[in-house]
Amino acid sequence: MKKIEVSRRKFLQGSVSLCVYASSAMAMPLATTKTSKKNAEDVPYLCNMCRNKCAGFARVEENIITKLNPNHYFPKSRNMLCPKGNAAIQAVYDKDRLKYPLIRMGKRGDGRYRRVTWDEAYEYIKDKLVKIIDEEKDNRSTVAYCNGEGFNKDEYIKFFGSKLGSANFLDEGSICLNTKLGATQLTIGDVGEMDVAGSDYMIISGANRYESLITPDSVDMLHAKQKLVVLDPRCTMTAIKADEYLPVNPGTDLAFCLSMIYIAIKDELYDKAYVKTYFKDFDKLKKHILSKKYTAKWAESKTHIPAERIKRITKEFFAASHPLYYLGRRSVWSQNDFQFRRAMVLINALAGSINRKGGIIFGKPFHLHEEEINEPLYSNTVDRFDLDGIVYGSQKGGSWLNFREKIVTNTSPYPVKAMFIRKHNLMQNMPNIEKTKKMLNMMDLVVVLDTMPSDTAVMADVILPECTFLEREDMVVSFNRLEPSLALRNQAIKPMYESKSMQDILKGLGKKLSVPLFKVSAKHDADLQESIKNYGKEKAFTEGGYNMTELYKYDITTRNKKLITAQFGKKVYDSLKKRGVWHPYIDTQKEIFNNYYEYYPKEKRHYTVERNYKVHCYLKKLEKHGFDPIPAWNDHYDFKVPKEAFRVITGRYVTTTQSATANNEMLKDFQEENYLWINNDVADSLGIKLGDSVAVMSSVSSIVIKAYPTNKIAPQVLWLSHGFGIHAREMTHAFGKGASDNMILEDKFEKIYGCATMHETNVTIRKL
Amino acid sequence: MARYGMALDYKNCINCKACEVACKEENGVELGAEKHRIWVGGNDPKGEWPLLDIASAAFLPSQCQQCEDAPCQEVCPTHATYYDENHVVRVDSEKCILCSYCMNACPYDARYVDDRTMTVDKCTFCSDTRLARGETTTACQNTCPTKVRTFGDLDDPNSEISELLRTREHFSLKAHLGTNPKLFYLT
Amino acid sequence: MKIGPLNIPLKEDFSLKSILGFEKTPLNMLIAVATLAMLAMFVIGVANYLVHGHEAYGVTRQHPWGLLIAVYIFFVVSSTGFCIVGSLGDVFGFKDFTMISKRAIFGSIVTILAGFAVIAFEIGHPVRMMIYNVISPGLTSAIWWMGTLYGLYLTFMIIEFYFLLNNDMKKAKIFGLTGLLVGLAAHSNLGGVFGFLNARTISNGVYYPTYFILTAFITGIYLSFIVMGFRYKLNFSDEKVKKLLEGLAKIQGLLISILIFFMTWKLLTDVYGGMPTRADVAHHMLHTGAFWTEVICAMLIPLAVILKDFGKSPVLMFWASLIGMVGIFFMRYNLVHDTQVKPLQMMKITEYQLPPEWIEYFPSATEIMIALGGLGLCILLYYVGTRAFNLDEEEGH
Repeated sequence: MKKIEVSRRKFLQGSVSLCVYASSAMAMPLATTKTSKKNAEDVPYLCNMCRNKCAGFARVEENIITKLNPNHYFPKSRNMLCPKGNAAIQAVYDKDRLKYPLIRMGKRGDGRYRRVTWDEAYEYIKDKLVKIIDEEKDNRSTVAYCNGEGFNKDEYIKFFGSKLGSANFLDEGSICLNTKLGATQLTIGDVGEMDVAGSDYMIISGANRYESLITPDSVDMLHAKQKLVVLDPRCTMTAIKADEYLPVNPGTDLAFCLSMIYIAIKDELYDKAYVKTYFKDFDKLKKHILSKKYTAKWAESKTHIPAERIKRITKEFFAASHPLYYLGRRSVWSQNDFQFRRAMVLINALAGSINRKGGIIFGKPFHLHEEEINEPLYSNTVDRFDLDGIVYGSQKGGSWLNFREKIVTNTSPYPVKAMFIRKHNLMQNMPNIEKTKKMLNMMDLVVVLDTMPSDTAVMADVILPECTFLEREDMVVSFNRLEPSLALRNQAIKPMYESKSMQDILKGLGKKLSVPLFKVSAKHDADLQESIKNYGKEKAFTEGGYNMTELYKYDITTRNKKLITAQFGKKVYDSLKKRGVWHPYIDTQKEIFNNYYEYYPKEKRHYTVERNYKVHCYLKKLEKHGFDPIPAWNDHYDFKVPKEAFRVITGRYVTTTQSATANNEMLKDFQEENYLWINNDVADSLGIKLGDSVAVMSSVSSIVIKAYPTNKIAPQVLWLSHGFGIHAREMTHAFGKGASDNMILEDKFEKIYGCATMHETNVTIRKL
Repeated sequence: MARYGMALDYKNCINCKACEVACKEENGVELGAEKHRIWVGGNDPKGEWPLLDIASAAFLPSQCQQCEDAPCQEVCPTHATYYDENHVVRVDSEKCILCSYCMNACPYDARYVDDRTMTVDKCTFCSDTRLARGETTTACQNTCPTKVRTFGDLDDPNSEISELLRTREHFSLKAHLGTNPKLFYLT
Repeated sequence: MKIGPLNIPLKEDFSLKSILGFEKTPLNMLIAVATLAMLAMFVIGVANYLVHGHEAYGVTRQHPWGLLIAVYIFFVVSSTGFCIVGSLGDVFGFKDFTMISKRAIFGSIVTILAGFAVIAFEIGHPVRMMIYNVISPGLTSAIWWMGTLYGLYLTFMIIEFYFLLNNDMKKAKIFGLTGLLVGLAAHSNLGGVFGFLNARTISNGVYYPTYFILTAFITGIYLSFIVMGFRYKLNFSDEKVKKLLEGLAKIQGLLISILIFFMTWKLLTDVYGGMPTRADVAHHMLHTGAFWTEVICAMLIPLAVILKDFGKSPVLMFWASLIGMVGIFFMRYNLVHDTQVKPLQMMKITEYQLPPEWIEYFPSATEIMIALGGLGLCILLYYVGTRAFNLDEEEGH
């Protein structure tokens, strides 16, 4: 344990607070402000405290946001804001915010930066990039870029992917929900949307909808007249609020699903008409499942859920008129994750709960027109390498762990020398933090666009302060399929300090980079040389699409106006500006009870749409790569923990969004640090009491955390919330509070989507 | 003038803290664990793993119960605690001498000291913020994800709360003390 | 000394020199140093409070009343006790007790001043209190009555003391009786402050208002032994003094017996009455050291000393009275603490806490310093009084 303490201290040595260089002259409002003024302006905005997006109105008084209120026009968020949404004010007025462009002075991670002008920052980046790309002979993929924020991701990709030309984009998908998206897409041809409100019987495996709020699901669950069954190795709030709670061994939900499929097929409980019409290779599925004998008794031995309950629940599920096996979106747990997600889709399909009320629906989302841009072709650019050895993988967001592994082991086909990181806290968000640190230390240039001096920001060479979501307008977004709507984030206040919106940052960067990088291409790219020869430099540049600021000819307000009015008309645009939202029934939507609205009339909701699709039971590509083409159990999926050891699993609190809310003063007030959940009997036998410090040791590293003995967790399992144990001293509210799960999690990943498996680490503990 | 009350469909509470944050933001409540106008009390489920009785775990949103016969008001030596025109129990911070008698007399632990003014503070049903601004909801009710809270005028027979109290069974906290709370817990 | 029409007969030799001119025995020096130390603590404690506000105290939302309230009650009970003892002679005309009247009345003034000094730093806004007590009186509040009546009481006590100093026994009697009645009313209202709390079943009811009068009398007698002990340096050879102290001891024996009887029944009904939040609090009380300190020091030891020879050992009684006052302090502290010890809401409000069981409270250093400062102030004022005034019965009266 001592070793860790020393190395951590070293990590922080000589850290000079960013705030020293970035002290504010602006008056800060108190943490909370009480006003009764009537002349406040209510600006509609979209929340960005988590990936979910709810709509709200920001009350602005004299250019200060004094309160955030829910927006009742938005079908998705059902007129609510969660604790994080309410505390977003603190994100804007956080005194630790990144306020000015900064260039590193000290060593990476020690936090010593000097304040520079935007132009100096851009100039610095330009010099480095020109050198790097020149060294790599115009292989643009040497610049990797990543983004952890949902909004503006496509635009960010357009800049670095299309314009700058790098193939190496990474996002949170491979440490989040790619297996779920992939499994659904590959099985029924669409990722779909779940109609929670329409379901009368719902099973949830692991997804903690009452502590990880997703709208409208979390709201609808309590109001739908449905039976709710929850499987979880931990008795979460969702489990407590369920009608039935099934404690399950970590990572064995697949066994439960296989048994459900077995019982449904064996007892012919499935929807025969549906299967006949839509299933492809049902015979293969039937043969496989029956021959494997996934009986309830068998599942009991894997999951520890009593066989009788499995049987009864399966019968109830298939007897229900609108059953739904809820496809949770959550981090990936174990090697069988893809198969498990696919088994859930198959269960829904067997029940006929696809493309109908209460099931996985396809619906009719609004498709927004794309803003066309001219993409240059870089003939020297090499493709991404992080999906090598991965069966499917996300072509868009790649595989973080595979990418990082190849970098740190020098096994990538070409060196990655620069990284642009936008709102993606790499130093906290994936297992084995030391490896991430090593990866970043191998870069010649690390640029971070963020609002907070996160653990990742303090590893950057250049920090570009982005404004928070309440200080900017963003491009209009289309939401949902059952009750589709458009929503627009309006600007509540002007960007504070010298922060800028992503668009403005990219515009400035593009202005600086376009010509110098074009010159690098002209030096190395034979095709471009040819085209210059034929058309002249000027034309080759403009028509070749090398102007990186093409998208930013107009400001965001103009772009929105043009796009929306052209596609939907002025009325819709006005609604988006005034109410932040538009849907076809916005003028007639009615309050049913207590702040709860009906948006689309029932008969207008897109429960069932015309669609040709098949349910694919058998995936040939998987077989080709040596994986099960139909979900199956393998012995190494068994839950096994050595004696005296524990399986550590993670999750989060209702008041936190990963590490993004770590420094929020209001949320800290509710949950200052994370605790380690440990079974109360086990704790008793180890003499561990509430609040005792416990060392948790894995093969990667160890942490110290306070213990919470409780009856709500299984004896061989430990749980801690993600998002604590921040190392950056500059995050004054978060620093030193709690411990980081990713310090101890082993960096394993599954090979179908390349996703990090978060629930496969065994640890030992010691009371301190 | 109105007689404001609140009905709580408390079984729908998921203890998400949205109301607590909204209350602090709206009413400028100090940060700090002790400084809360509203809170949610919770029980862990009874039993031992894996035989947990999830139905035994309860979550009870609580706050000033806005008693009709408020002990805090009775014991105040300077009338700092008073009923406003809408029957809301309020504290006039100009008159409060911080003798803390009301904190001791309140059966619901609903009062605390605001360290900035050194006076006793409590839930006001957002009277001096939202209602003063002309809004008709409290911050906690407005933001609640699961729509636990219904706020309204008990004297108006057509209000949603009156309708709820007519049609659903409900109880008050510590009713035996005769405080006649205007917070109603729906069963 | 004459101030306008008032004639205040000070001792002839009263001066700073006379104040500092005490016999420099080790004991006296110890008391002097301790008193100065306590006064210094008072200054530090108050300064700390003025800088940090209530944060400097150990009081919480669930336990808003702490040591300072207990100490305030301790002093005002002492004051009422002195007043009752003082009234025995000059109001009710028990000749044996007149020799202590002036000293006791002065004691009642000194102790209530000390009480006020302490409470001034517990109440958040003492000046505002004086204003709004008058312009916005809360007549349903026991605190209003208690505060207002104590204010009046202090006035009457000062007037009575003035007439006693001037040997105007008739007027002293009138103001003494009025002061006593007002004092008893004030004091029972202090009991009422607790008695009215319907959320705190352990205190709710008629018990405290009456019990306060009884314990005040007991406190007064303990204090009488202590002040007389110092006055006569434990040399009680004078027959008159002996008679006085024997009489007081006998009364004390009776009072303590009544108190024990009261307490026993209170506890029996608390514990076996089975009333929720009362029975469990009583059980909890019975398991605390503070409760047994109260019983042993304030009741059993002094009663044993009295019963030994029916109050004929005044020196022993002096020591028993000192122990008794320690017990009385715990009595006040326990009253305040036990009233609040049961949480009003019994659910967890954060995940990482144990379900509330009992409210914890321990006084902060600032509170302890201010409390001790009150004691220092009391001793200083009393000592200065003994130097300034003739507190003995006038000869030939």
